[in-house]
Amino acid sequence: MRIALIVLIPFIGAVIPPLAIRAGRNVCTAATAAVTGLALLLLLTDVPAVFSGRVPGLRVDWLPQAGLSFSFFIDGLGLFFAGLILVIGLLIIIYARFYLGRTDSMGRFFCYLLLFQGSMVGIVLSDNILLLVVFWELTSLSSFLLIGYWHHLPASRAGARMALIVTGAGGLALLGGMLLLGHIAGTFELSELLTRGEVVKSSPLYLPTLILILLGAFTKSAQFPFHVWLPHAMAAPTPVSAYLHSATMVKAGVFLLARLWPVLSGTPEWFLIVSATGLVTMVVAAWIALFKDDLKALLAFSTVSHLGLMTMLLGFGTPFGVIAAVFHVLNHATFKAALFMSAGIVDHEAGTRDIRRLGGLRRLMPVTSSLAIVTAASMAGVPLFNGFLSKEMMLEEAAHTVYAGQAWLFPIFATAGALLSAAYSARLVWCVFLGPKRQDYPRHPHDPPLGMWLPVAVLASAVVVIGLMPAIVAGALVERTASAAVGGALPQFHLAIWHGLTPALFMSGFALTGGLALLWAYSSLERLRLALPRPDGMTLFQGSVAGLVRSSRFVLGSLADGGLPRDLAVIVLTTAGLALAGYVQAGPGPLAGTRAALPATIPAVTGWLVLLLACGLIVRHHYDRLAALIIISVIGLVVSLAFLQFSAPDLALTQISVEIVTTILLLLALNLLPRTTPDESSTAGKLGAGALATTVGVGVAALAYAVMTRGTETISDYHIEQSKPAGGGTNVVNVILVDFRGFDTFGEIIVLSIAALTIFALLDSALHGAARRRIRTLRFLPRAGDPHPLLLTVVTRVLLPLSLVVGIYVLLRGHNMPGGGFIAGLIVAIALLMQYMASGYVWAHRRARMDAHAMIGGGVMLAGAAGLASLAFGRPFLTSTFGYFHVPLFGEIELASAMAFDIGVFFTVVGTCILSLATLSRVEERAEQASKQTQVKTGTGAP
Amino acid sequence: MPSLIELAIAVFLVIGGVFVFVGSLGLAKLPDTMRRLHGPTKATTLGIGALLAASILFFLVMQNAGGIHEVLITMFLFLTAPVSGNLIAKAYIFRHKDIQESLPPAGDRGGWATLGEQKPAERAQRQPQRRDGPSAVE
Repeated sequence: MRIALIVLIPFIGAVIPPLAIRAGRNVCTAATAAVTGLALLLLLTDVPAVFSGRVPGLRVDWLPQAGLSFSFFIDGLGLFFAGLILVIGLLIIIYARFYLGRTDSMGRFFCYLLLFQGSMVGIVLSDNILLLVVFWELTSLSSFLLIGYWHHLPASRAGARMALIVTGAGGLALLGGMLLLGHIAGTFELSELLTRGEVVKSSPLYLPTLILILLGAFTKSAQFPFHVWLPHAMAAPTPVSAYLHSATMVKAGVFLLARLWPVLSGTPEWFLIVSATGLVTMVVAAWIALFKDDLKALLAFSTVSHLGLMTMLLGFGTPFGVIAAVFHVLNHATFKAALFMSAGIVDHEAGTRDIRRLGGLRRLMPVTSSLAIVTAASMAGVPLFNGFLSKEMMLEEAAHTVYAGQAWLFPIFATAGALLSAAYSARLVWCVFLGPKRQDYPRHPHDPPLGMWLPVAVLASAVVVIGLMPAIVAGALVERTASAAVGGALPQFHLAIWHGLTPALFMSGFALTGGLALLWAYSSLERLRLALPRPDGMTLFQGSVAGLVRSSRFVLGSLADGGLPRDLAVIVLTTAGLALAGYVQAGPGPLAGTRAALPATIPAVTGWLVLLLACGLIVRHHYDRLAALIIISVIGLVVSLAFLQFSAPDLALTQISVEIVTTILLLLALNLLPRTTPDESSTAGKLGAGALATTVGVGVAALAYAVMTRGTETISDYHIEQSKPAGGGTNVVNVILVDFRGFDTFGEIIVLSIAALTIFALLDSALHGAARRRIRTLRFLPRAGDPHPLLLTVVTRVLLPLSLVVGIYVLLRGHNMPGGGFIAGLIVAIALLMQYMASGYVWAHRRARMDAHAMIGGGVMLAGAAGLASLAFGRPFLTSTFGYFHVPLFGEIELASAMAFDIGVFFTVVGTCILSLATLSRVEERAEQASKQTQVKTGTGAP
Repeated sequence: MPSLIELAIAVFLVIGGVFVFVGSLGLAKLPDTMRRLHGPTKATTLGIGALLAASILFFLVMQNAGGIHEVLITMFLFLTAPVSGNLIAKAYIFRHKDIQESLPPAGDRGGWATLGEQKPAERAQRQPQRRDGPSAVE
């Protein structure tokens, strides 16, 4: 449990800063630091166990069917990364306290930061690879929030969006890769998976798995060509850049490569893809970094370059490469986070971070300058600092690497990368801190308060201490981490400054002197760069996003142009195509089955003819909306008669009441619409649509004929048989609705409520803004003098109690006789709608003291509660029970728990109808008032 | 005396059938809406009433199973037919100027309700102004 707490504490603690900020900025910082400190403390208690070779773990099943479990373990690699994340996190929190301005919301910042911290620790401690993907996505999301922290700046928003899209897309690829990996290995638990490397590597799915996982790792770690997002993420506040974009998040990709190293590495594919990507990234990014004038942009590209270095080392596939990579992760985290924080200090104190406007800060900011120079020297690979050691190891590895038969390729390009790295480090130091003092700084620079440079000093001292005594300080840690990453014994290695006269030493020396020489020749070099093509990442990215949008618009636009004919044609053609494919696959067979046909009685034939006639009339009169509505209601009536003919009284009742409600609501809606539909389609279009409709109609008819003339085994017989013994009701339709398939009904009433609320939400906006102005311009025909005729009003009022009684009767008898909650709801709704129609909206609304929203919500909740009640008896959701009770006066009656469910359905239906009606009539009322006012104005104005 | 009952049922059926037919024929044949309204409201109501009476008699005497179905149907029919007829007539008057001109005086102060509680002569002069009176919305 302790392990899970390490991950969960930052998440739980994330709620603290927004609350603690009310007590002041110091308290807020202290609270945040305490959260991180607590997690760190818990992690440290596991250090002895890990160093004695044990692997503490925890496993709780989450979704065992999908292979997802809530499981964590701490081995050397996880411990190393988690420690790095938490320690640097602690320093960043202190730094951010002084960095953030008065107007920045500190609570929000620390909340995001802790969320990120938790996700990051989750990645490195996950034992389950799917859980790892979950945390992976969480880091993408929380980094989106952090990059966009200054959301009033367009650059922040653009950078955040770009980072989210690139890393999110990579996360998707990673999910695919992890699923494949789990499928191949037969387990999703890392601790087991790591032992099955041979199985994975020999699988035919190895290559796609590898590519998908690498896509995830490369996007996260900003490898070429996915590096574009990282420089733009620098729009974030500097603590974020220092934390996420140098020390931790971008290392997640490197971590993943190291984590899966025993499983995936050692194949030619791994070597060819990973090492080459790393090399290209290292050289290209270092080249770009050399010319950046913005301090943070320079550091961002340098980070990309160093990430490339680590990727390349892991790509070599040798244990020594892993050792070097791990060591460089540690070194890079120390010097780069320190450099970012120094850049933030310069920006904060001097008012700019443009290299061209800075210089000579050594005298003005002595503390910051010396710290920055030390860390920059480490970045450049100057001896006695830690960057030198890992760079030396990298060069040593590269010197022995033969790529595609070329022994010169890697040594030369690795040296070039190191050389460029030395050059941009030297440029940074020279142009910002050394050189003559200037007079035109935007602000008067001076050293910041202790809290701001102390975190930098801590990291800088680590740089020096590791640089001087690598074996003593970092030897054990690197060994433990690397052996965990390799998953076996390591070759003999020794972290030391002096290894003798090795090729790496010469390469390193050449790189340092060459770097200084490059700086000397900077201006001619810049001319060379300007002559080369320089694709801009943001433009390319925006171009490709725009292209994606365009192509999806094209696809969507050709499928659906917003018009009904196109939509329906696509749906109908797809369905017809599928049906045809099924028919062809099954082979030809007789259309008619063997089942005897029913006799064609006169009522049946009449009904059929009326249906045909009505359909024909609609085709002819569809442009006249009112006429079309009336004809459609004829079809509804005939259909309900057909239900009666085939002994389905429930369906007939439902159909007829739905028909009435629909017609009333549509009439109300039509009042706000033009009377006729304009004729917009061409003759050819009409003919085409007609041909399509006829063909598909004939096809459906043939299908129906084929199905109905075959006697098929359906579940109906089972339902009819079990209705009384299992459901306690003789009305099988109702028992199916509330019991056998109660879950369906529950879903349906929720859909119904959502529909009603959508009507409410959509039409509520019609009362404001542009829609309101348009409605105000509607002109209604003059209304009759008595809109509520006495005869109609009296009759509906007299009928109201009777209708309500009928509704309740139908509800109560539903379990055994035709009826039920749905029909009863519709009957009651119609009775109420009649009042609205006859006596007017205002009259009815004033008297109907019921809240339609509450009815809908209450109904759904009642139905849900009725379903949940069965859980209390240890039965599945919505299990129904029933019993027979003797009630005085009524005699023996049956009570089923499904009745409560049915009452819930009843209230939802009534509420839905009333809400739809009320919303529509409210809009209409406004429109009519506006119309009348205008008429009055024009009337009095006329002569 | 089953034969007498049978005779009565038959008479009711014939009367019902004739009136339903006449009502439907009137609906189809009469020249304008106001006259056509007579068919379904008067003739058909009477015809269906007779048919229901026949039904009541038949089930009561021949099958010994009297029910309230027919009574309920009668009640609903007698409620809905006049209301529908009334509304159709009102709408028709409201939509047709010539009918409005030919209406006889309503005989009280209010005038024809459908036309906005105004006497036709006054309404013709001041029609636009009167639209703000108590109408569509209470």
